[in-house]
Amino acid sequence: MSTFKHTKLNNQLDIIAEVMPTARTAAIGFMVKTGSRDEEPQVSGVSHFLEHMMFKGTERRSAADINREFDSLGARNNAFTSNEVTCYWAQVLPEYLPAALDILADMMRPALREDDFNMEKNVILEEISLYLDKPGHVLYERIMEDHFGAHPMAQSILGSKESITALSQQQMRNYFDRHYGPGNMVLAAAGQINFDELVQLTDQACGRWPSVAVERRYPPLTHSARRHHIRDEKLKRHYICMLCRGPSAQDMERFSAAVLADVIGDHDGSRFFWSLIESGLAEEADFSTFPHDGLGSFYAYASCDPAKADLVEETMIRELGRVRIEGVAEDEIARSKTKISTSTVMSGELPLGRMRNLCSQWIYNREFRTLEQDLAELEKVNLPSIGDLLTKYPFEPLTITTLGPGDR
Amino acid sequence: MTQTAPLMRVDRFDNGLTLVMEQMPDVQSASMVLAIMGGASQDPEHGVGSGNVLSDWILRGAGERDSRALTSALDSLGVQRSCGVDTVFLRFSAGMLAKNLPAVLPLVADIFQNAQLPEAGFSACRDLALGQIAAIDDEPSQKLNILLRQQHLPPPLGRPTLGVKEHVAVLTAADLRLDYRRRFTPDGAILSIAGRIEFDRMHDLVNRCFGSWTGARALPAAPGQAPGGSRHVHQETNQVQIGLAFESTPEREPESILAMLAVNVLSGGMGSRLFSEIREKQGLCYAVHAGYQSLRTLGMIFGYAGTVPDRAQRTLDSFVQELKKLRAGITADELERARIGMKSRVVMNGESTGARAAALLHDMYHLGRPRSLDELRHRIESPTLTDVNDYLAAHPVERMTLVTIGPGELTPPV
Repeated sequence: MSTFKHTKLNNQLDIIAEVMPTARTAAIGFMVKTGSRDEEPQVSGVSHFLEHMMFKGTERRSAADINREFDSLGARNNAFTSNEVTCYWAQVLPEYLPAALDILADMMRPALREDDFNMEKNVILEEISLYLDKPGHVLYERIMEDHFGAHPMAQSILGSKESITALSQQQMRNYFDRHYGPGNMVLAAAGQINFDELVQLTDQACGRWPSVAVERRYPPLTHSARRHHIRDEKLKRHYICMLCRGPSAQDMERFSAAVLADVIGDHDGSRFFWSLIESGLAEEADFSTFPHDGLGSFYAYASCDPAKADLVEETMIRELGRVRIEGVAEDEIARSKTKISTSTVMSGELPLGRMRNLCSQWIYNREFRTLEQDLAELEKVNLPSIGDLLTKYPFEPLTITTLGPGDR
Repeated sequence: MTQTAPLMRVDRFDNGLTLVMEQMPDVQSASMVLAIMGGASQDPEHGVGSGNVLSDWILRGAGERDSRALTSALDSLGVQRSCGVDTVFLRFSAGMLAKNLPAVLPLVADIFQNAQLPEAGFSACRDLALGQIAAIDDEPSQKLNILLRQQHLPPPLGRPTLGVKEHVAVLTAADLRLDYRRRFTPDGAILSIAGRIEFDRMHDLVNRCFGSWTGARALPAAPGQAPGGSRHVHQETNQVQIGLAFESTPEREPESILAMLAVNVLSGGMGSRLFSEIREKQGLCYAVHAGYQSLRTLGMIFGYAGTVPDRAQRTLDSFVQELKKLRAGITADELERARIGMKSRVVMNGESTGARAAALLHDMYHLGRPRSLDELRHRIESPTLTDVNDYLAAHPVERMTLVTIGPGELTPPV
C-alpha cells in the first residue's frame, strides 16, 4: 500500500513523495510553476530556452558532466516546458536516487554561461524549425493566439526565431532569479523511496536557496466567437482546431469534464469516432479537456482531405451542438468512466506516472490526492453532473482556426 | 530489496498458436498482444496496404456483434487498445484491469476468427488508409522513415506498412475478405500476456477461445534485392531530414548484444557520442539519434538528424564521422555507461505490463523463448570491452544507405 509524505524546508521548498513499497524504481522531479504565460512579451520563449540551459552546467559541473553522470546512473531523465510549468525529472534504480537528486538539485542552480547560451540558441532555433514542419503544431500555436488573445495563455512556448535571436543571457538570468525561487516549485518523488533520507539530502542541497516572492498574473479571459483560416498551399491535408471555455485545474468539475471529453472525442467509441473516423470523413479527430491554472479549455482537433473540410467542420460543430442540447447517455458515461479509471490505474502502477501526477496536483492545488481519491471522484460523475457542466460550459463562444491548402 | 524471479510459461497449441505468459503479482493490470504473421511483408504484391486496411476493418464488427456493439463491449471493459501492422506482424495490443481479461479474450478471438467485414465499413476504412498515406507528405520526419526503410531493406521487407496509394485506391471488399481468410491463421501466431494472471486459468481460457482456430499460413516469399545507395527527395521543408541505415547483426545471434552496446555508446543517454558531439558541442541540430532494429534474419542500425539547410551538410558529415569512428572502439567508461543504461531500462520496463507483453512477443519472435529480467541483465553484463571492440573492428560501418528530404541535395559520404 502506497503512503504519502510531505515536508517543507525553511525556505518554503515543498518535498512530497508517494512511497510505493513494491516498486522497483524511483522517479523524482522538480516542477517549477513557471512557463510561457509568465513571460514578458520581449522575452518570449525564455522559459523553454532556460529549460535547455539548466542542462548546461553549474558551478560544480559542466554540461558534459551532467549528461555523463546521469548516464552513469542509468537514468532515464529529461525536462519539459508548458504554458504553465517547467519540470525536470529523472527515473533511476532506487540505489541511485541520492546521486540523481544531487545532480538534479545542482542543475536547479545553473551557471548560465555566455558560450553555452550562444551555442544552445542554435539548438532552440532548430527546434523551432522542426515544429514549423509539423502542421498540427503550427495550428495549435495559432489557435492559442486566436482564442486567448491578450491573455498570457496565448504566449508561445517555443517563442519565435526573432524573439530567441534577440534574447540576451542577462534577460534569461533575470527571468531565472524572479521565477526559480524554492517557494515556486515542488520536489516530488514516487516509487521505492526512503523519505527521511530524501528530505535530509534535499535540505543539504537546496536548503540555502534564497526565497523569492513570485506572483502569477490571473487576468480575466475575454473572447468572442471567431473563425480564422490560414492558407498553406504546400500542405496535402486540412487541419481543424476548436477551443472554448472549460473547467480549470482547481475546479472539481474537471472530473466530469474528463468524462465528457472522453464521450465526445476519445479515439475509440466516442461521438467523434462514430461521426468522423468510422465514417471515413477524417483520419484524426479528438476532443479533450485542458484544465489550466485558474481557467480551462475544451479542445477539438481533426485532420482530413481538403475536399471534405467543410463537411468535417460542420460535423464537429453539429456533434458539439447535439451534446449541448440533448446531453449524453448514461451508458456513454459509464463506459468513459471505466476507460478513464483503467488508464488511471495503469499509469499509477508506474513511478514516473505517479511522480508527474503528484507534481501537477501540488503545483495547481497544493494538495495530495491518492489514486483511490481520484477514482472515487470519477465514480461520482453522473448525468446531473454532466448536465451542470454543460450549462456552465456550453462550448460557446467557439474559436475555430483551420490550416490547409484551400481558400477556407 | 529482494527480487523474486519473474514467473513465465510458454504453451504451444496444436494449431500453431504459441501462448507466452508472465505473472506480475504486484500489479492490478494485465496487457496482451495477439500477433499473427500477417504484416506488410505478407501483403499481395499489388495490394500493398491490404494488411493496414484489414487491421481497421476487423474492428468493425465480429461474431454476433456489429461495429457499435463490439466497440461498446471493449469500452465497457476499459480496454486500451491499438491494432495495426508492422513489417512482420499484424497485432492487436490491449491493456486493461486484469480481472477483465477473461471477458476481453473472447472478443479478441472473434476479431481474429469471425470478423464481420461489413460492406458498409469497407470504403470508410479504405478512405482512412488513403488519408493516412496522403498525410505522410505533411510530416517530413515520418516520410523519411518510410523512404529509408524502402531504400535500405530488401523487398518485401521495406514496404511502407501504411501501404501504397495506387494499390489501396483499387482494393475491393472481396479482395480483402479473401485476404482475411488467408492471413488470419494461428500458424505462427503468438499471444503474449503479462500481468496479474494465473497460468492454468489463462491456458484454459485461451484454449476455449482459440483452440478451434485453424488454417496454415502462406510461406513468405524470398526477399529480393535492396535498392541501397542514396536518394534525395525534393520538398520545401524548413529542416532537411537526414536518414542513414547500415547492416548489423540480427538479434537472434549472440553477438547482437555487442552491436546494441555500441549503439548505446553512440546514442543512448544525453552523454552519448552523437548527442554530445553534434548537438552539444556543435549546436547543429535539435534531434539526432541512432537505434538498433532487427528482423529475424536481418539486423540494422538507423540514424536520424533534422537540421536547417545551412547546417545539413556539416551535420551529415559529422554523423558519418562518428559512425566511422566506432571502428576504433569504445572506452571502458563508455561501455559501463551503456551497460548501466540498458540494465536500468530492463528494470523500468519490468514495471509495466504493456512493456513486458511486448517484450515477450519480441523474444518469442527472435529467439523462440521468453527471457526473464535476470537473463536480460546477465546478457548486458557479460561482454568485456575487448569483446565489444573486437566486434567493432571486425564490423566497420560500410555500405550506408542515405535518404534526405529537403530543398537541396547533400553530398553523400564516400
